[in-house]
Amino acid sequence: MSSLSYIAKRLLMMVPTFLLVMIIIFFLVRLLPGDPAIAMAGDRASDADIQAIRERLGLTEPILVQFWLFLSNTLQGDLGRSILMRSDVIDVIAERLPITLFLTVYSVVLSLLIAGPLAFVAALNRGRWPDAAIRTVFQIGLSMPVFYIGLVLLTFLAAQMRLFPVGGYGDSFTERLYHLFLPSVTVALYTSAIVMRNLRSAIVEVLDAEYVQFARAKGLPPRLILGRHVLRNALISTVTLLGLSIGNLMSGTLVTETVFAVPGMGRLMLEAIFARDYPLIQGLTLTFAVLVSVVFLMTDLFQSRLDPRMRLQ
Amino acid sequence: MSDATFNNSMKSATFLQRALRKPGFVAGCVIIGFSVLLALFPAAFAPYDPNAIDYLAVKQPPSWAHPFGTDLLGRDSLSRVIWAYQVNMQMAIFGTVFALVTGITVGALVGYYRGVADLIFGRIVDAVITFPFLVLVIAVVAVLGPGLINMYIAISVVYWVYYARLMRAEVIAQMGNDYASAGVVMGYSDKRIIFRHLLPNAITPVIVYWMTDMALVILLGSSLGYLGLGAQPPQAEWGVLIAEGRNFISTAWWLSLMPGIAIVLTGLGFSLLGDGLADLLRPRG
Amino acid sequence: MKLKAALGVTVALTLALPAVAQERGGTLNFARYDGSRLIDPIYADRNPDIWMVGSLFDTLLRSSADGNSVEPGLAEQFSVSDDGKTVSLTLREGLQFADGSPMSGADVVFSLDRARNPDLSPWAGLLGSIDTVSADGTAVTISLKSPDPTILSMLATFNTAIVSKAVFEAAAGDTDQDKSAAIFASTSAGVGSGPFYLCGFEQGASMDFCANENYWRMGADGKPLPYLGGVHFEIIPDDATRILSLQAGEVDAAEFIPFSRVAELQADPNIDMQLYPSTRIIYSPINTRDTRADGSPNPLADARVRQALNYGTNKEALIGLVLHGAGQPMSSPLMAKATQYAADMSPLYAYDMEKAKGLMSEAGFADGTQVTFTTLAGSADDATIFAALQQMWAPLGIDLVVEQVDNATRGAKNRSGEFDIHTYGWVNDVNDPSQVVGWLGHTPTAKAVGTGWENAEFNTLFDEAASEMDADARKAKFARMQELYAEAAPLLFMYETPFAVALGSAVEGYVQTPLGNNVFDEATVSR
Repeated sequence: MSSLSYIAKRLLMMVPTFLLVMIIIFFLVRLLPGDPAIAMAGDRASDADIQAIRERLGLTEPILVQFWLFLSNTLQGDLGRSILMRSDVIDVIAERLPITLFLTVYSVVLSLLIAGPLAFVAALNRGRWPDAAIRTVFQIGLSMPVFYIGLVLLTFLAAQMRLFPVGGYGDSFTERLYHLFLPSVTVALYTSAIVMRNLRSAIVEVLDAEYVQFARAKGLPPRLILGRHVLRNALISTVTLLGLSIGNLMSGTLVTETVFAVPGMGRLMLEAIFARDYPLIQGLTLTFAVLVSVVFLMTDLFQSRLDPRMRLQ
Repeated sequence: MSDATFNNSMKSATFLQRALRKPGFVAGCVIIGFSVLLALFPAAFAPYDPNAIDYLAVKQPPSWAHPFGTDLLGRDSLSRVIWAYQVNMQMAIFGTVFALVTGITVGALVGYYRGVADLIFGRIVDAVITFPFLVLVIAVVAVLGPGLINMYIAISVVYWVYYARLMRAEVIAQMGNDYASAGVVMGYSDKRIIFRHLLPNAITPVIVYWMTDMALVILLGSSLGYLGLGAQPPQAEWGVLIAEGRNFISTAWWLSLMPGIAIVLTGLGFSLLGDGLADLLRPRG
Repeated sequence: MKLKAALGVTVALTLALPAVAQERGGTLNFARYDGSRLIDPIYADRNPDIWMVGSLFDTLLRSSADGNSVEPGLAEQFSVSDDGKTVSLTLREGLQFADGSPMSGADVVFSLDRARNPDLSPWAGLLGSIDTVSADGTAVTISLKSPDPTILSMLATFNTAIVSKAVFEAAAGDTDQDKSAAIFASTSAGVGSGPFYLCGFEQGASMDFCANENYWRMGADGKPLPYLGGVHFEIIPDDATRILSLQAGEVDAAEFIPFSRVAELQADPNIDMQLYPSTRIIYSPINTRDTRADGSPNPLADARVRQALNYGTNKEALIGLVLHGAGQPMSSPLMAKATQYAADMSPLYAYDMEKAKGLMSEAGFADGTQVTFTTLAGSADDATIFAALQQMWAPLGIDLVVEQVDNATRGAKNRSGEFDIHTYGWVNDVNDPSQVVGWLGHTPTAKAVGTGWENAEFNTLFDEAASEMDADARKAKFARMQELYAEAAPLLFMYETPFAVALGSAVEGYVQTPLGNNVFDEATVSR
C-alpha cells in the first residue's frame, strides 16, 4: 500500500473517531451540575436573569437541535463563541495552543536529552550499581507529584538562587526557552523516567538478540554495534512510546501550567470546565483530539520509514 | 503440554528459586508486602488517631512525641501518613483492577475474533485515547460527585482501553504461533483456545504493565486529591498531605516530605516488582 | 487599622500642598490570583473585574474613607430634593476622558441609562428607583419614581461609572455587549475617565494600565494623579508561586496571600505585609426548608438545631486554624462590622457547648444524624473548616460528612436547595447595607441566600427600609432585621477576614478598599 493511500485511509478512519469524541464531550458537559448561565450570571443573579441568559445562549432549544447545530457549525469550521472569554473559540485556542505545544515539545526534547544517555549507561551496566542508581533516581522523578516538584524547583532554582524566572513565558524564542525551562523540566522529569525505562529495556533486548551477539562474536567494535543496531531499534520504540503518550503529556500540562502560571491550553481547559463554557470545552477537546490523532499518524509513518518490517496496513 | 498441573508445579518450584536470586524483585516484594500490612492494620502501627485535632500544637517540627511533626490542624503527621496507606493502596488496586479485567477480556475477544467487533473496538480506542484524559476524569467526577469510588469509575472508564489494546496485540501475536493454529485444527472450542492457550501466554506483558500502572494510579489519585476530586477530608491521602505542605516548603518542610517518601517508596516497590516479574516470566530459551 | 493609617497619611499629604518631591513614574508589577475578563461598569460581574472598574472609570460621587458617606467625584456638587425624588448634580468644569476628549452631561445620561437597563446590566436592579436621567451641559438631573436612601451610594458604585458615549457609538458591533467587548479588546484610551486606561491585555496572562494624563484629581505635588506611569498585572493562580514571584523581586505586590503565610511574610524585612480591613464575611448557609430536596425530613429545619450549631462552633479556634488569627468572629449576623448600620451583637453565639447540647435535646435531634457539608473542591480553607466542624459538632450527635464540589455546582445547589450546609462568602459592592441584607435575608431577592428562610416581618422591614429617607428610622429597621436574623440563625455565623496583600518595600500608597477595590491612584514605586 502506498503511503499516500495509507494516509487517506487513516484520515477516513479518523472521521468516526472525531464524531465519537464530539458526541461524548457534547453530552458529558451537559451532564455537569450547573450550566453556563449560572456560572456566567454569578450567584447573585435572579432565576429570571438566568433563564434569559439560557435563552440567549440557545440552551433552551431541544438538546438534539443543539447537537445538530454544534455538529454542522463545526463542520463549517465554526467552533462557536466562548462564553467565558467573550470571543471566538478559534481565536482563543489559537492564542493558547502555541504555548502548550512549545511546552510539550520542549519537555519531550529535554526528556530525550536526559533519558537517552542514561538509558545506555544503565543498559550496558545491567544489574550493576549504576543501573540500580539510575533507575532509583528516575523512579523518584516518576513518583513526585508535579504540583510539588514544580514548586520545589521554583523555590530553590528560581526564588532563592535566581537562576530562572518564577513567572512569565517570554516573547521571543530564546526568551521562551529560558522562561519555560523549569516547567518543561518538571514535565520532563516524569516523561524521562518512562522513556528511560522503555529505552533501557529496548537496548537490553537488542543486546541480547542473536544478531548482536553474532556481531560481537565477530569482533565488531561495540560502538559500531551500538550505532548500527541498537540506536535504530531504540529510536523506533521510543518514538512509538512518545507518540502514544502525547495525549497524557498534553493533559499533564494542566497542573504544570497552573503551578508555573503559564497561560496555556491546559489551564484554559480547567477554567472552561469551571465556567461550564460549553463551546470552549468542546473546541478544546476537539483540538486536542485532532492534535493527538495527527501525532499518532506521524508516529506510524515515521515507524514504517525507519523499520522496513513495519508495513503500512 | 498434556498435563498442565504437573507443568505448573515444576515451573513454580524453579520460579521461586529464581525469584529469590533477584535482589530487586525481593526488595519490591518486601516493600509492597509491608505497604499492604500498613494498609490492612494502620491502627496497629499509627501512634495517634489520625483525625485528632489539637489547636494548640499545629505545625510542630519532628520530635520524639511526633516523629514526623504535626500538620496544620495539629494532627500527628506520622499517623496520617500511615493511615493514608489504606487509601493509597486501595487506589492502586481498585483504580486498576476493573480496567485490568475488562481490558483482558475485551482485548482477548477482539484479538481472537477480529472482524466488525475489532473495527468498532479500534474506533472506541481511538476516541478514548484522543480524548483529554483529565477532562474526562474531572467531568465524570463532577457528574457523579467526588469521592474514591467515583474516581475509580472515572479512571477505569479510560484505562481499560490501554489494557485491552495490549492484550489484543499479544493475542494476535500468539495466534501466529503454531499451538494456536493447532488448537483450531484439532477442533477445540473457542473458549478453550482463548482461556487455556492464548490467555496464559499473552497475559505476561499485561501483568507487568499492571504493576507500573498501580504506581501511576497512586500518582494520578494524588493529583486528583490536589484538585479536590479524590479522597475526601478528613481522610488522609498522600497527594492531599503533600499539597497541604506546599505553602510551607521552607518553613515546615516535614509536612510534604514524609508523604512524599511514602509515595516514592511505594512507586519504587511496584516498579521493582514489575521489572522482576517481567524478567521471571520472560520465556526462556 | 493600617488602612486608616494609610488614609491619614494621604489626607495629610493632600493638605500639605504643594509638597516637596513626589515620587512619580515607573510601573508597578502586581501579581493577581485571577484575571479580569471584561472591565466595563455594567458587565463586570466577577470580583476580579469589579474591583478594577474604578481604576479605568470614575464615578460621579466617591465613597468617603469610612464608607459611611459620599464625597464629590466627577460631580463637584450634588443635592437631593426635600421630597427625596430628585437628585441634582453639577459636573466639574473641563473634565476629559483619557484620550483628551471632553466629558459632558450627555455621557452621564448615556452611562446611567445603560447601567439601569435590565436587558443589559445584571446590576440594573440596584438602580430600580430611577425614573429618568437628563442633562443640560454640566447639570445632571436624576428623577426618581420613589425616594431612595441608597441613591447617593449607588452613584459612588462601580456600575454607575461614566463611559464615553461617543466611543460606544463608534465601536464595532451590533449589540452593546459586542461594542463593550470590542472597546476592551482595542486597549486604547478614550472610553474611560478613571486614573488609568487599559493599554495592554492578554487573556488569562497579563494586563497593563497606563496613566491617564487627563485625570482630574491632583496629587500632593499639585500635578494630576496618578503618580505611577502604569501598572502591570501578572496572573499567577497558584498561591505559593505568587508569593515566590514577590520574593524573587519579579513583582512588587501579590494579592490574596493565604492567611497561613501571613506571619512568615510579616517577619520578612523586604516585605510589607498588609491586612486591609474589608467587608468580607465568611458564613455557611443552612437549609431551613422543612424537607430536603430529596423529600426526606430536614433535621436542620428547627431553628433550635441551627442555634445549637452556632453555639457549638468555636469561632476563635476556627479563626486560629484557618486565618491564623488574622480575623474576627462576625459581630452582626447580616454584615461585616465596617458596614453602615452594622449592629454590634458580639459575642454572637459565643461558644457554649452545654447550651448547644441543651438546644439539641430540646429539639429532639436524633443522635448520629448525618448532615452533609458542601465545600469548594481544592480549597485548603474549606477542608480545614470541615475537619474542625466535624470534630466540634460530634458531641452534638451530628455525623458531618463532606461533599466537595466546584464553584458552579455549589451555585447550582444553592439555587435548587440541594444542600444541608455549604461554605460561602460575601464582600459588599455598595457602601450601604441594603445589598447584603437583601442577599442574606430577604426571601424574594435570593431565597435568603438559598436557605429558604422566610420571615414576614423581616421582608416587610426590608421593603420599608428601601424607601425610608430618615436615617435613624432606617437604622432602627436594620437593627430589628439583625435581631430577627440572629434569632432564626439561617446561617452558621463564622468570621470576617481582611484582604491580605504583600507589598515589596518599593511600594507606597497602594490601598485595597473595604469593598475590595484595588486603588492605585496614589500608589508609588521607587526603583
